[in-house]
Amino acid sequence: MRYVRAFFGFWYDFLVGDRPELFLGPIAALFLAWLMVRANLPAPTTGALLFVLVTAVGGLSIAWAIRD
Amino acid sequence: MSSIALVTIVSSFLASAVEFVEAVTIVLAVGVTRQWRSTLIGVLAALVALTLLVVVFGTAIVLFVPIDVVRLVVGGFLLIYGLQWLTKAVMRAGGARAKHDEAAIYEREIAALRAEPPIPATGMDWISFTVAAKGVLLEGLEVAFIVVTFGASAGMLAPAALGAAVAGALVLGVAVLVHRPLAAVPENGLKFAVGVMLTGFGTFWAGEGVGIDWPAGDATILALLAGYVVLALLGVYIVRERLTHRRLRMAVAGPEN
Repeated sequence: MRYVRAFFGFWYDFLVGDRPELFLGPIAALFLAWLMVRANLPAPTTGALLFVLVTAVGGLSIAWAIRD
Repeated sequence: MSSIALVTIVSSFLASAVEFVEAVTIVLAVGVTRQWRSTLIGVLAALVALTLLVVVFGTAIVLFVPIDVVRLVVGGFLLIYGLQWLTKAVMRAGGARAKHDEAAIYEREIAALRAEPPIPATGMDWISFTVAAKGVLLEGLEVAFIVVTFGASAGMLAPAALGAAVAGALVLGVAVLVHRPLAAVPENGLKFAVGVMLTGFGTFWAGEGVGIDWPAGDATILALLAGYVVLALLGVYIVRERLTHRRLRMAVAGPEN
């Protein structure tokens, strides 16, 4: 049990760490992009939205970090 | 050689070089302070473990997981990981985060190792073995993660592994020659470049994974990379400005009491 906890703990630190917004944000952005694809929105619009959302996640994360 | 293979080699090379520089700092500190033989056995053990990880997981993903799933899940991880690198690099360049200083890390490692129990007169020095193996394994896991995710998403596992292997050989070769930490390597600039690459490729592949039919095909990657470079540089400028204004405000307000 200790090893299982250590294994998942390692991956949590590796991928999430102390900035969960950088883990959850891209997943949310990809989910929105998937919804737009399902709604048959044009590919350039969907691609551009994904780029903007990823940039917004990064920007917000930096803003929070330097505010602290 | 296709352009995507070349880009895969270069990206994997740059990302791996940064991690190997960090691993070499730890290995040098252990070897110089304690015992080279046990240190090198530890490095070898870690390298064998990492190679097995890349071969087993990389091959399994490439052979058994459908490419769309690979691009969504693995590309998604690449995007998450790339964004972490890029935001840290922006904050470092903007002055909001301490820059990586291999010389300082080397001195800290040496001080910590000198506080350990003395080296045994005969046989293995398990402290050298453990510290070297752990250092290489932890830094190398990031290399393995990048090689597997990058290689699997592009269907280019071999070129990604080649880029990492060349980086490892080069960094190790230079470290053996100069025999001190590679503080002159522009690690922070490399991390910025790698962050842009991982984020750009991650966006492209994960986007394909959710079904986006990118308008210009593979050429879209260049547009994404250019876009992220411009916005990251803008981010550096904004962070610097914010910090400068904050320092000025604090200077004008004066010390409390």
